[in-house]
Amino acid sequence: MASKSVTKSYDGVLTPAENGFVYRFGAMGSPCEVRMETGDADLALRLGEIVAASALRIEHKYSRYRDDSVVSQINASRGMPVRLDEETASLIGYAAQCYTLSHGQFDITSGVLRRVWRFDGSDNLPTPSDVETVLALVGWSKVGWRSPVLTLPDGMEIDLGGIAKEYAVDCAIQRLKTVSDVPALINFGGDLRVTGPRANGERWRVAIESVEAGSRSEGVIELSEGAVTTSGDARRYLMKAGVRYGHILDPRTGWPVESAPRSVTVAAPTCVEAGLLSTLAMLQGQDAWAFLKSEGVKAWVLS
Amino acid sequence: MQLIPHTTGNLTRTLGLLTASLFAATGLHAQDISPAASHSAYGPSPDKASATQDTASDLGMTRIDTAILFYQEAGGRVKATEPVTSVTFNGTDGEVLSVKLTADALTGATPNGATPWKNTQTFITPSKGQGVQTTTTSASGHSKTVTLPGTDIVASQYTAEPHTLPLDYGFRDTRYAVDVGYTTPIDPVTRLSVGGSFSSEQDFKSASVSFGAARDLFDKNTTVSAGINLEYDKSDPYFGTPQPLSIMSGLTKGGSQSKGVFNAVLGVTQVMNRNWLAQVNYSLGAANGYQTDPYRILSVVNGQTGAPVRYLYEARPKSRIRQSLYVGNKIAFGPTVTDLSARLYHDSWGITSVTAEIAERVPITSWLYVEPHARYYSQSKANFFHDFLIDGQALPEFASSDSRLAKFTATTVGLKLGLKLTTNGELYMRADSYSQTGDRHPATAIGDLQSENLFTGIKATSVMVGYTFAFE
Repeated sequence: MASKSVTKSYDGVLTPAENGFVYRFGAMGSPCEVRMETGDADLALRLGEIVAASALRIEHKYSRYRDDSVVSQINASRGMPVRLDEETASLIGYAAQCYTLSHGQFDITSGVLRRVWRFDGSDNLPTPSDVETVLALVGWSKVGWRSPVLTLPDGMEIDLGGIAKEYAVDCAIQRLKTVSDVPALINFGGDLRVTGPRANGERWRVAIESVEAGSRSEGVIELSEGAVTTSGDARRYLMKAGVRYGHILDPRTGWPVESAPRSVTVAAPTCVEAGLLSTLAMLQGQDAWAFLKSEGVKAWVLS
Repeated sequence: MQLIPHTTGNLTRTLGLLTASLFAATGLHAQDISPAASHSAYGPSPDKASATQDTASDLGMTRIDTAILFYQEAGGRVKATEPVTSVTFNGTDGEVLSVKLTADALTGATPNGATPWKNTQTFITPSKGQGVQTTTTSASGHSKTVTLPGTDIVASQYTAEPHTLPLDYGFRDTRYAVDVGYTTPIDPVTRLSVGGSFSSEQDFKSASVSFGAARDLFDKNTTVSAGINLEYDKSDPYFGTPQPLSIMSGLTKGGSQSKGVFNAVLGVTQVMNRNWLAQVNYSLGAANGYQTDPYRILSVVNGQTGAPVRYLYEARPKSRIRQSLYVGNKIAFGPTVTDLSARLYHDSWGITSVTAEIAERVPITSWLYVEPHARYYSQSKANFFHDFLIDGQALPEFASSDSRLAKFTATTVGLKLGLKLTTNGELYMRADSYSQTGDRHPATAIGDLQSENLFTGIKATSVMVGYTFAFE
């Protein structure tokens, strides 16, 4: 993509923090921060802006809320084949492999389910026929995909919301490592990754917040490499006849996963992997813990 | 919480390979930067615009006065629509019962208290809680729901553009108020009155009672009056009450807060001559309790550059003692009536103010009058007013950047038109223009803040249209 209006409106705020600085900005619907261990404020600001630029580039390219995003172009293709750029083709290819790997539980076409499911804490459940109608528009197997050409059936939509933020963290970490040796932690709305150990060789400490209103942190994760993400949102649910419907939807049925944990936190080498594993774990419902255990990933489950 | 031990499984291993090839394939991408599109917010309950009323007293009649006030601040700030209806029952023996109902619908934005800056600033606030259905205006596009890093706490985030005053968009608030008053003569020269009022908005409730007595002396040429008012307010901010001077965050804050207000007024009204009525009032008030604006913040800035380092919630003293002295005159020159008044005010927060006001009612015909009016107001700043705080300096006990606590002057000019449609019915319209001026570039501004406008006062216009009529 050509760089059009290069305005520096991504500026966030640089604040002194423990052993360095933290640069905060907003992107992809989330508060984002970069923690850097350096005494050089100018460098920290420059690095922070590099990360922000990287995040906003990805937001611009993959947000379904932007009419000029690649995702919106695909969704507006009305059944016509679309030739994708190299980066998008890689991401879509990756999502396609994850669809296969997860036996359809990870599906970038499942976003349309949101039309009938609104998790506002009410008892407004969609009817089975509502769900059935929308479900006709869900299913990666209905999509024509021969990289780099994508043919999305008319009426269907793709949504990279499930991996774009994680992907953005990974890209930003890579970008940061190529321009500086400053130890850093990048956190985009709870999806985070570190460049490596801290300056003193110690690990970064990350608190897992409680899902209970009013109570404090549930625990502390220490990491010297890799990424951590959290899935789940205890506040988004529907309640009917004493049954709680959490907001994790199974793309295969169109219905919420029963007895899903309230939150799953997973550590993995990259944010994209951690994010996928935490989402897949949620989709296992009450078997989330067993799934994570069999996969042998480092994880924390709040149920 | 369960901690799961670490050994690699199948899916994870495959995923690892896939991911590695994803990043190998996509590599690093060019720095094509798109302008950010983020923004949002929620806002406090802004200043109320209050309707002025003109009720005449008509012995033995019932008067109904219905008006609607439109209030609009410049720069897309607060907008209010306020319908008011009052009914006054006048007994034949001097008893008066009045009931007034008011509704306010407020929308718009208020300054959040942070200083403008040359770069975009991002602010975070708690998001609306479950069960609160009526308060956010995310449809306006200003507010954005986000998830706090490392948590699944949902918060709201909004930004302020470079060189613009940070505004909090957000709440549409609706206030309902009822005021009831009853006055009765107990002998030919003495009247007693009692009153009560209650007002309610989503995050604020207020109730008050008042008692008063008035006595005519010297052949009714002099009236002395005394009154007291007790008020109780409960503040229940949307996301709880923040700890004063704590860092702005998306976390839900503490519980509700309250304050009590006691007010006493002593007054003398004197007929000076056939054409001149004068009034002097002294009032003393004491408020105790929570008087901080729970939504308002201050910037803590770098001592050299003026760049924002963090944002703190403001803090105001719990106690405030107010005194004021009011002198009013009603003077008839031929057919015109002039209202001339002045007020001196001082409070324990360090604010001293003077107000001067003039209005002149000029009859044009027997059924039409015009009433131009002008008002001048000037105040000194509260002793804890700060445009911003400086990073590295000791925090003061109290601090606020509210322009209402700053040094400023304000002028109002307006015009009222009255049209007598029937013997007892009058249609009236009133338009006002209000403007505050203050120090846009205070000497205390540092670094790049010297080139920002730090005065956040308002310019506003209001229009009121009403109809009043009386019947037996």
